[in-house]
Amino acid sequence: MYQLLLCWRYLRTRYLAMVCIVSVMLGVATLIVVNSVMGGFSTKLRERLHGLLSDVVLEAYDPVYGFAHPEHKMAVIRSDPFLNERIEAMAPTLEIFAMIQFSYGQSDLARPVRLIGIEPESRSRVGGFAEFLVLNKNQAKFELTPEARQYNEMRNRFKPAMQPTPIAFESVDGKPPPDQPPSREFVPECAILGYAISHYRADNPDEHGNHDVRLLQPGDDVILTTISGHGLKPCNARFAVCDYFRSEMSEYDSNYVFVPLEYLQKLRTMEGRVTSIQIRLKDGVTDRAAVVQRLKQLFQGGVQVLTWEDKQGALLAAISIEKGILNILLFLIIAVAGFGILAIFSMIVVEKTRDIGIMKALGASNGGILKIFLGYGLLLGLLGAALGTVLGVSITVYINEIEHFLAHATGQEIFPRKVYYFDKIPTDIRAWQVALVNLGSVAIAVLFSVLPALRASLLHPVRALRYE
Amino acid sequence: MTTEFPLLAARGLTKAYRRHRIEVPVLNGLDLSVMPGEFLCIVGASGSGKSTLLHLLGTLDQPDQGTILFDGERIDNVSIRRRDQLRNQSFGFIFQFYHLLPELTALENVLMPRLIQASVFGWLWKQREYRRQAMELLDLVGLGERIHHRPREMSGGEMQRAAIARALMSKPRILFADEPTGNLDEERGGEIVQLLRMLNRQEGLTIIMVTHNMELVSPTDRVVRLVKGRVEGASPTRGLNSIEPRSGVPLRKAL
Repeated sequence: MYQLLLCWRYLRTRYLAMVCIVSVMLGVATLIVVNSVMGGFSTKLRERLHGLLSDVVLEAYDPVYGFAHPEHKMAVIRSDPFLNERIEAMAPTLEIFAMIQFSYGQSDLARPVRLIGIEPESRSRVGGFAEFLVLNKNQAKFELTPEARQYNEMRNRFKPAMQPTPIAFESVDGKPPPDQPPSREFVPECAILGYAISHYRADNPDEHGNHDVRLLQPGDDVILTTISGHGLKPCNARFAVCDYFRSEMSEYDSNYVFVPLEYLQKLRTMEGRVTSIQIRLKDGVTDRAAVVQRLKQLFQGGVQVLTWEDKQGALLAAISIEKGILNILLFLIIAVAGFGILAIFSMIVVEKTRDIGIMKALGASNGGILKIFLGYGLLLGLLGAALGTVLGVSITVYINEIEHFLAHATGQEIFPRKVYYFDKIPTDIRAWQVALVNLGSVAIAVLFSVLPALRASLLHPVRALRYE
Repeated sequence: MTTEFPLLAARGLTKAYRRHRIEVPVLNGLDLSVMPGEFLCIVGASGSGKSTLLHLLGTLDQPDQGTILFDGERIDNVSIRRRDQLRNQSFGFIFQFYHLLPELTALENVLMPRLIQASVFGWLWKQREYRRQAMELLDLVGLGERIHHRPREMSGGEMQRAAIARALMSKPRILFADEPTGNLDEERGGEIVQLLRMLNRQEGLTIIMVTHNMELVSPTDRVVRLVKGRVEGASPTRGLNSIEPRSGVPLRKAL
């Protein structure tokens, strides 16, 4: 009983002990904040990757020529009852590297992109596409709005060089020349551009607080150059921008250009061929491995069968390894706090030597004295951990406000939104993680108080009483 | 009186301290008996082993040789647990420097022996009764008004009174007082000794007081004078006079 009373009194009267509490608190808070922010990044990244990538992909071994008859393959898959039951939607896709060219102001710009031929309906059903469109969210179509079309036409009218002038034929034998073939106006196909291709992020916001500067308006022309499937000759075509794709994953937003599948096949003279079939599983399907296995059996190695995690495995593994190492390093902070407790406790034991002698003279057992100091360590650990949890969770919850304030105060951007295309710092507080951090730090606090507590309990009563 | 058994008896107590590999003998085969209800004064020069004797008798330390009997039970070589129990329940201590716990109030200091004894639930169960006892004791020593004061808010005399109340809390059979007035002026010291005498007379409490101040010793006390680790005047033969009835030297002669 006296242990409780003394622990409590020591806590209230020893300001030195506050140092222990603060050090444990800071350690715990740091661990919670770092884990939550890293967890947030990783969760967000996974979410986005999974949102972008279909669950399973049938991919051709040859990325240039692909494979023929995707509809046949899809029919085979649909005819399998096991797979049919689990597959929600499939979308044939033709993917190839390309170069995009366009003019902005006085300058012509070119950059490499990934050109993806899709059917808007089937691709939308697979997911990770239509919901990321900027103008026609969830209504994927390769179509210009009337205003955009007008704008496109107007632009092209002022560019006569782009349209061949008809040659006037003279009559040779007195007969009137044949009628010119009816001139068909060239209507460019539409393309959906990645957001980062068509925009760039300015350092200073404009009067609307907008950082993004649009390089290409809807209806603007771009020229896409790629290789044809016939002898790998270059081929190009003019497209009109009709929408933007913004997934907030800079890797995708700065690379992807979507065009109609059929047109791309024609352009590349490889009608009916695709490079992959994207497959979306029904919600709640957990035996993904079995699906992959079945697909592999079905096609006998003719195509690769990959899950979205296979496609991004290295990135996901890197994140989890990073988090693990960071956790080990950060736990060292709490170990440092532990040494602080050891030092401060040793001082308190020396200071309390006479009191320990008194208590022993009054009949306190060695175990009882041990309990005072272990209890004291536990109390400091618990208090530090509790305060640290409160601090860490509050920092995590208000991290964006804090970042804002710090950025404002120092004039330095701490979280460059350019890099991640995240508007906010993502966080993910996990209860079990917080509990584990708390448990670990309390355990360390108790562990480091064992040595001084043992020393206190083994003091000889007479020597302790005589201690000046 | 002669048929009475001694409450505390020591035989052939030997104790030496080791300092830098040199053995410093403190007690050399000391014999001593204390009868119930006695007020025993142990006097002697500094370094004569008075405090060491008190520590040995109070089980705060163990002798190198010899035995100590308390109420017929051998207590010099019993388990630590039993010795803790004896100090908690059968012995009371007061010291020269009062030795109150600075973090606790007077009342809490007095309650300390009971706090040490009780488990959490036991304490919650009996708390009221203990508190009442402690207040009574503080009243008895004249600190009824100061129960919530911390030691640093009290004078030396008051601290020593609180220490006496603490020593009485667990209703001890023997009270050990180690130079209880050593740090007080004459007047306060006299009051403390008066208080002890009153406890001895009225409650029949056995008191063993160590002092070097002969002014405090009254003619009714039994006085034992330590010289070079032995009781002066006692026969050096061990074992024969292990129970010596009133063998103390008359006080005034000793001076």
